[in-house]
Amino acid sequence: MSPAVSTVALPEIPAALAGALEGIQWAFLLYFVSINAVYLGLNFIAMFAILRYTREHGASFRLRNFAEYQPPVSILVPACNEEKTIVATVRSLLRLNYPNFEVVVINDGSRDGTLRAVVEEFGLVEFPEAYRARLKTAPVKRIFVSPGNGRVRLVDKENGGKADALNAGINTARYPLFCVVDADCILQEDSLARVVQPFLEDSRMIATGGVIRIVNGCKVKDGLLSEIDLPDKLLPLTQTLEYLRAFLFGRLGWSPLNALLIISGAFGVFYKERVIAAGGYKSDLVGEDMEMVVRLHNQMREERRPYRIAFVPDPICWTEVPSDLRSLYNQRVRWQQGLAESLFGNWRLMFRRNGGAVGWLAYPFMLLFECLGPLIEVLGYASVIVLGLAGLLSPQAFFVFLFASVGLGILLSVNAMMLEEISFHLYPRPGQQLKLFLVAVLENFGYRQMMSLFRVVGLLRWLAHLVRLRRRARWGHMRRNGDWHEDDSGEAGAGAAAPRSMQPAPGAPR
Amino acid sequence: MNLFDLLYSSDPRVVFAFWVGLSMTLASLVLFVAVLLLRRIAQRRERQHQQAVVRWRALLEEAMRDGLPARLPLLPERDMTGFMEAWNALHDLPGGADNLGMHQLAWEVGLAPKLEKIASSGRFHDRVMAIIALGHLRSVSSFSRIEPLLDDPSPIVSLSAARALMRIDAARAVERVVPQIEARQDWVDGGVAQILSETDANVVQGPLSGAALRANDDVAPRMVRFLAGVSPQAAAPVIRRILSEPHDEHLVSTCLQVMTEAADLDKVRPLLGHPRWHVRMHAASALGRLGSARDAEALLPLLGDTQWWVRYRSAQALQHLLGDDEALVRVRERQQDRYARDILTQVLAERTLQVAA
Repeated sequence: MSPAVSTVALPEIPAALAGALEGIQWAFLLYFVSINAVYLGLNFIAMFAILRYTREHGASFRLRNFAEYQPPVSILVPACNEEKTIVATVRSLLRLNYPNFEVVVINDGSRDGTLRAVVEEFGLVEFPEAYRARLKTAPVKRIFVSPGNGRVRLVDKENGGKADALNAGINTARYPLFCVVDADCILQEDSLARVVQPFLEDSRMIATGGVIRIVNGCKVKDGLLSEIDLPDKLLPLTQTLEYLRAFLFGRLGWSPLNALLIISGAFGVFYKERVIAAGGYKSDLVGEDMEMVVRLHNQMREERRPYRIAFVPDPICWTEVPSDLRSLYNQRVRWQQGLAESLFGNWRLMFRRNGGAVGWLAYPFMLLFECLGPLIEVLGYASVIVLGLAGLLSPQAFFVFLFASVGLGILLSVNAMMLEEISFHLYPRPGQQLKLFLVAVLENFGYRQMMSLFRVVGLLRWLAHLVRLRRRARWGHMRRNGDWHEDDSGEAGAGAAAPRSMQPAPGAPR
Repeated sequence: MNLFDLLYSSDPRVVFAFWVGLSMTLASLVLFVAVLLLRRIAQRRERQHQQAVVRWRALLEEAMRDGLPARLPLLPERDMTGFMEAWNALHDLPGGADNLGMHQLAWEVGLAPKLEKIASSGRFHDRVMAIIALGHLRSVSSFSRIEPLLDDPSPIVSLSAARALMRIDAARAVERVVPQIEARQDWVDGGVAQILSETDANVVQGPLSGAALRANDDVAPRMVRFLAGVSPQAAAPVIRRILSEPHDEHLVSTCLQVMTEAADLDKVRPLLGHPRWHVRMHAASALGRLGSARDAEALLPLLGDTQWWVRYRSAQALQHLLGDDEALVRVRERQQDRYARDILTQVLAERTLQVAA
């Protein structure tokens, strides 16, 4: 988004300064026009993409796939001090309606009872696995499995951060596809089937990601979503609209161009061998999930291999967003730091000769508008304040540009509401839509500016991290409210002893 | 602020920004009203659709149970989506296919021409539903109306058409459908396998065998897999022939995965030393599946293979061939290679805990 672009009524000031101010004004205006033009363009692409997707994936004519042809998936659940939530998470994963999968919990040196909770709940026993360290990680201490063809496995390792835990999970994964799930995510029964579907439709597929929706305000029963509603509190409600914008056109718009640069770390599926060939997740980064996708693009283009990275617009993964400012601040600072790491760490992707839409459009867009954009916005706000204090700002111009900026902001939000309406209409009541519309107006006065400031702090953190010696990334934890949880009355290990289907790991007999 | 002054401001940027702001705000309001209206329209349409589903489902269930209902209403165009949903859902139930009462009802309401019309010119969703419904109806006269849809650019429409044609007249359809399976890389394998599994194996195995032998090495693995799914016996001579000739290693791997004839193991044993690891792995698995204790010796070198999956499948094959764990423990004790010992330890533990991949 854009700041209220400043313009000045120039009094008696030196010609050089006047020229500089004039140049800055034009630069702000150009930025303002460009970013909104790109967003509207993405909206246009997303509109077609979502219409096509919803008509081709309508539930009432879904062709059944032979279970034997559904690729088996290893679901990786990295966990560090998740004693309270980990059992419920694994239980909900075991209820996924998918023929063949395993759940690999990676206990990353938890100091609480995470390990004991999983071992006891699912009856795991220590197992002498011939562990393959294809990706280098902190030492793995033990591996546990659930006897009797159970689906749960646990890797107990020394603390090394989330990326390190994921790498250990990849080393342990038995299946060609792996799915990354955050320990606090709520899925639906068909979530895995939907996010794997693009792999069945296109053999070039190497990664897919799904829409993340907000669980605040919803009801969850037995680890699965039972009722969808909007949050009551303003902060999560504003983030609901933000997520609609980010996922429904921010990502869906890039997907048809094979230019998707972000797959949420909360829920994504990857082709294991490609990730290993790329070197696995980098453990010294904050945004390891984002960086992996950018690196995959870069590497595939460097090796001139055909590939696809796709986005599934179905609402398939639900997560709790921060409901207090402190957690929101921490989250956004981490995200921005991760974005900067991902982009600057793979700068060769930009304007690469065979870069395609990702190298020539998506990367420069992300760099200029998503990564450096907050800096430009905050400079815009600062210049408005400085010029206003100096008496150099025309109030008329200020209010007109604010009007334009807010108008465009509202239009983008309402566009996202329209995309939601023509596709999944999860918030169908007029009251819900009115609530979202009001938030679309209100967020322009304070929230957007605050987010820009948080993101600038993220950029500064990235710079500070860059000049210091590299160190291992830590886990990002959020204060959770959890009021969407109903009493979880699921049976212990309900699916832990579920029979495996016929589709095997490599080379298994049919 | 005077609006008139603003519109004639000397600064074109201010004028531009004003018009941008005004048009965006108006567009937002219009769009928001459109969202509300669309929701109302969609809700009304959904209500009508559900009413039609309930009405026609009750009539169809009555027809299934007791034959043609005494009083049958007309089937208006607005009820067609609801009718198709109920019709297709009931046919997917056990005992729903080829029910005489339902077919009599379909005949009475003149279903076939209505479905054919929607299949050729309706909305995407309705087209697919109509094609599926025609497949359930098995009206021979609809065959020629559905046949051109095999060439539809949408994989969903064309695959649904293939399924409908196979249901109506498999012997006639197979000549058109199998070449399409070969040609249409956008047809999802699971969907094709589903169609083939619903068809009499005797009808499809001949054309599939011919296609598997005729296809190039890129396409042949799919065809061999489909053929083996339909009839392992029919696949055996095709696999034998492919393994006798030089072919792409992925095709060879596929043949090794689906082969079921122990008589062909002579062609498998030399592949244990193949330069590509996946061929070695599948050869070891095939030997474990189909071989005898005499083949165990040939697998021992693979326990120290550079590739984990080759070691693992070889250890599993050995376990299968040797029969008891004691023998496998003795093999492990003879191994000098640490990787070979580790993988045998894992496979032995897996048997105890029943956790093999």
